[in-house]
Amino acid sequence: MIEIKKYICIGCPVGCPLQLEHEKDRIREVTGNECNRGAKYARQEFTDPRRSISTTVQISGALRQRLPVKVSGAIHKDQILEAARKIHELKVMAPVEIGQVLFKDFLGEKGIDVVACRSMKRIAEAMTACRTKKHRRSKAGKPE
Amino acid sequence: MYDIAVIGGGVIGCAIAREMSRYRLGIVVVEKYEEVGFGTTKTNSGIIHAGHHSPPDTLKGKLVVRGNKLYDRLCKDLNFGFSRIGELVVARSESEIPELERLKKQGEAKGVPGLEIWDRERLRNAEPNLSNTLIAALHAPSAGVINPYELANALSENAVDNGVDLKVNCAVEKIVVEKGFLAVHTSTETIKARFVINCAGVYADKIAGMAGLSDFTIHPRKGEEYMLDKRLKGLVQRLIFPIPEKNTKGILIIPTFDGTIMVGPTAQDTTDRDDASTTYEGSEQVFGFVSKICPSITERDTITEFAGLRAVSNTNDFIIGPTRIKGFINAAGIQSPGLTCAPAIALYVRDILKSEGLVLEKKKNFKPHLPGPPRFASLNDEQQRRLVEKDRLFAKVVCRCELVTEAEIHSAVDHGARTLDGIKFRSRAGMGRCQGGFCAPRCMDILSKRLDKPFQEITKRGGDSWVVKKMMDS
Amino acid sequence: MLGRVEKKYGVVVVGGGPAGMGAALGARDCGEEKVLILDREPEAGGILLQCIHSGFGMHYFREELTGPEYAERFLQKVIDHDIDVLPGSYVSGVAVDSGGSKKVRIMSESHGLITVETKSVVLAMGCRERTRGAVRIPGTRPSGILTAGLAQKFVNLKGYLPGKRIAILGSGDIGLIMARRLTLEGCRVEGVFELMPYSNGLTRNVVQCLEDFDIPLHLSTTVAYVHGRDRIEKITVAPVNPDLKPDMSRAWDVPCDTLLISVGLIPENELTQNLGIGLDVVTGGPLVSSTLETSMPGMFACGNVLHVHDLVDYVTREAMLAGRFAGEWSKGVRRPKDNIRLVPGDNVRYCVPHTLSPEREHTIHLRCKAAMKPCKIRVGSLMEKKLRFVFPAEMIMFKIKPDLLDKFHGDTLRIDILPLEKGERVD
Ligand SMILES: Cc1cc2nc3c(=O)[nH]c(=O)nc-3n(C[C@H](O)[C@H](O)[C@H](O)COP(=O)(O)OP(=O)(O)OC[C@H]3O[C@@H](n4cnc5c(N)ncnc54)[C@H](O)[C@@H]3O)c2cc1C
Ligand code: SF4
Repeated sequence: MIEIKKYICIGCPVGCPLQLEHEKDRIREVTGNECNRGAKYARQEFTDPRRSISTTVQISGALRQRLPVKVSGAIHKDQILEAARKIHELKVMAPVEIGQVLFKDFLGEKGIDVVACRSMKRIAEAMTACRTKKHRRSKAGKPE
Repeated sequence: MYDIAVIGGGVIGCAIAREMSRYRLGIVVVEKYEEVGFGTTKTNSGIIHAGHHSPPDTLKGKLVVRGNKLYDRLCKDLNFGFSRIGELVVARSESEIPELERLKKQGEAKGVPGLEIWDRERLRNAEPNLSNTLIAALHAPSAGVINPYELANALSENAVDNGVDLKVNCAVEKIVVEKGFLAVHTSTETIKARFVINCAGVYADKIAGMAGLSDFTIHPRKGEEYMLDKRLKGLVQRLIFPIPEKNTKGILIIPTFDGTIMVGPTAQDTTDRDDASTTYEGSEQVFGFVSKICPSITERDTITEFAGLRAVSNTNDFIIGPTRIKGFINAAGIQSPGLTCAPAIALYVRDILKSEGLVLEKKKNFKPHLPGPPRFASLNDEQQRRLVEKDRLFAKVVCRCELVTEAEIHSAVDHGARTLDGIKFRSRAGMGRCQGGFCAPRCMDILSKRLDKPFQEITKRGGDSWVVKKMMDS
Repeated sequence: MLGRVEKKYGVVVVGGGPAGMGAALGARDCGEEKVLILDREPEAGGILLQCIHSGFGMHYFREELTGPEYAERFLQKVIDHDIDVLPGSYVSGVAVDSGGSKKVRIMSESHGLITVETKSVVLAMGCRERTRGAVRIPGTRPSGILTAGLAQKFVNLKGYLPGKRIAILGSGDIGLIMARRLTLEGCRVEGVFELMPYSNGLTRNVVQCLEDFDIPLHLSTTVAYVHGRDRIEKITVAPVNPDLKPDMSRAWDVPCDTLLISVGLIPENELTQNLGIGLDVVTGGPLVSSTLETSMPGMFACGNVLHVHDLVDYVTREAMLAGRFAGEWSKGVRRPKDNIRLVPGDNVRYCVPHTLSPEREHTIHLRCKAAMKPCKIRVGSLMEKKLRFVFPAEMIMFKIKPDLLDKFHGDTLRIDILPLEKGERVD
């Protein structure tokens, strides 16, 4: 049976409405594209749609509480939510370097790792303490 | 046992509490919201009326001119923003001129100073940005503007400085008449007092009802106001009024104390006592009208809008006085010009309390004075330098739109701010064109540290007005 | 060096985002040694630090990076080039003395109130988001209504959620990105409501941020009313008529505890305005010459403070150019004044720069008013360039060569975007 799948091409702002005709797994034709990129995109989406994913994880001992991370390669579209959940299990300690691998062969796929998207220095405990101590003032102190 | 329990921490309740704190009395103010002034007081036009509008045979008409005069002193004592910028009632056609004359006579009879009718040319010279179709105006130089929330905060803080107890997040639920006193049951405790003063704004009839009184009703009348971008600062110098309509003084152009232009209010009766919503109809009415008087004002310049409820009583006048229940005193139906009348109402209530048998003995150590909040942005170079030398946090900017520094946020917390709105009304952080987009997280950090509360427990204005939730993994 | 500030500079850059860093590097490139970057945030990097998604750097680094990665690479360059960076510093004013030297007034917790002297200044303060006030939604004023960018800051920098059940007004890219981001964080996104009949964001974001997660995008629809006392409880949304006014007879309610506003960006020109610099009413940014100099001599502007860009790579390129001219200026180079004025014509919303000089090649940035495909750009009678398409959301860029301008003798050059004529084709 011949079926049709619809996509919108993301290759450029034109956003061509693409139609991919297929019989089971076999692609017959892509129409609606104004240029080649559209056809290529529809084929990719049909056979192996992939997405890149980035999120944040908890970090302690740094200026900020969250460290941005990404998955180094695109993963299958259906795995996004699961991947996000899994990344959240990570807890990191400063210092961290940009590009540092935090989780190797993530989701069991070789070469696809979770990496840090920025460096974060360690802020000495002492410094954090003195920061809060400055706050401050007798009058309000700790209001009821 | 308190001598006086004031129900409602709006400007009226706060003014009464502060006035009575001159005497050796035990006083408590009970407020259901997280901070004082969060009712009608924070959502009005902030005008200190000259007094020519209200008829002399009403109580509001009697108190308004006196209230206006009391503001000079009050401002000197409490250092809130107040400026007598003057008011113009503008006439759009010949047929409106007799009304200007009537208002002038009415005002003069009540002792409003300096009333003058201006012709077209004088009006144009003074306010060149108004429509050139206007033909005359009544000028009232004693009209002014204040930041009403600053006033409420200053009154309550000064009252507390002078020994008044302030209970917030404390809603009155029941009032029981006992022998020689009244028991006020609230959401958190029961308060006993010899006198109860009902200043509960739009809820005043409900409070009276709790004490078994049903002789008046309150009908909320909503007013929507629209705050414009500071780009329009200076567009008009004075308050601009149209010829008044039946229910209201009409839609006004208000240069607020900080110079930002505000337009409104509408006048719409509603049955919902918490209805603070703005509407399409409201904005159409406001801008449709105002653009005729000042053509360069358009809706596109709105940076924020809000609505307040006037507590209109069934007599359409203030209801202030003792009741058949000994010790229960109303200060109800305080619609416009309630803000203007507030200091006069406080004196009026003082006299009532006296004639009801309360002994007034002046405190020797009454402190009338309250330093105003630091306003870094409005200081000159030298003054700014001095502040920064004293405290480096004056050099740390928290709100970029209004240039508010971290030291000012701390001062707001020192002076009672517990919520983002509390900080905003005390320091102006979050009032500018970005409406808190930049400063809200910073203010929350500071509140969280100072109040020793987790970040996610900081609220916009108390109650269920949370701002953020914790993340799944934290 | 990070945290160092001296008394005198050649170029002071206000803003440490990609534009500020690019400008500082541009100034160093042309040989200016004393360059300072000022930023009010605790770290340089600007808005990129909270844009943790990828999509940055395809043009500049030929590699798809996340915002923080792009920022860090630049910050490293800045440090390597021995440029001073002072985070946590707020520029409250610039005074210009008669000799043209500028005193930049800085407020900083670590340094107090200080002034640094400089020959040129580059304005690179970025932009801010339009708020609820700017779109005017009737209803109550509960907590839980915030711009998409503020939500992004809460989530990505501070680690808090703006709420759990989200509605989004406007289909700007930040809103779309946040729809996906919040879904990944376990929130439920009820839908995106866009006033116009088309999305304002990139197709890629519509597909990958909404469709991938079955989040509905309602075009020609707006939020007509906000409900809830303390916290937002629901919104009323309604399709709009051709006049863009909501048709309340077809309205419906959407329960939510959060409403994100993603309705566009405006250049952050507080400081620019205070200095009395001339602004373009359409872009909201300053009027600039072909050297990206504002109406105040020695004061330059670039990046989103000049006009809102779609891609950071373009910001970087523009900023480096501005930095180079600022550096030149501080070293005493004075180029002849531009003598050709560019004016937006048919279907052109704005163009930047605002003037040109015949001595150099220029890159013109412009935006169209309405989508058109195919079409051509006509620059006076000098040149025509055919394009497959133009979209309001996509900045159009093209170059004008000096030899073309040599032949031009007028003083205003009008730019039009026109439909192709019969027989014309895009090759
Ligand atoms: C749009 C608008 C514009 C106005 N403009 C002006 C103007 O320009 N000039 C002017 O002079 N006047 C003006 N007014 C009128 C003026 O604002 C009011 O007269 C004044 O604010 C009334 O103050 P209040 O203290 O009586 O009321 P509120 O400020 O409402 O205070 C009442 C307080 O009682 C508390 N309360 C209620 N029930 C309970 C309970 N059960 N237990 C404990 N506490 C309770 C409430 O929380 C509230 O804080 C305006 C009014 C409106 C609506
Ligand atoms: S098919 Fe080609 S023209 Fe159409 S959207 Fe994709 S890239 Fe653009």
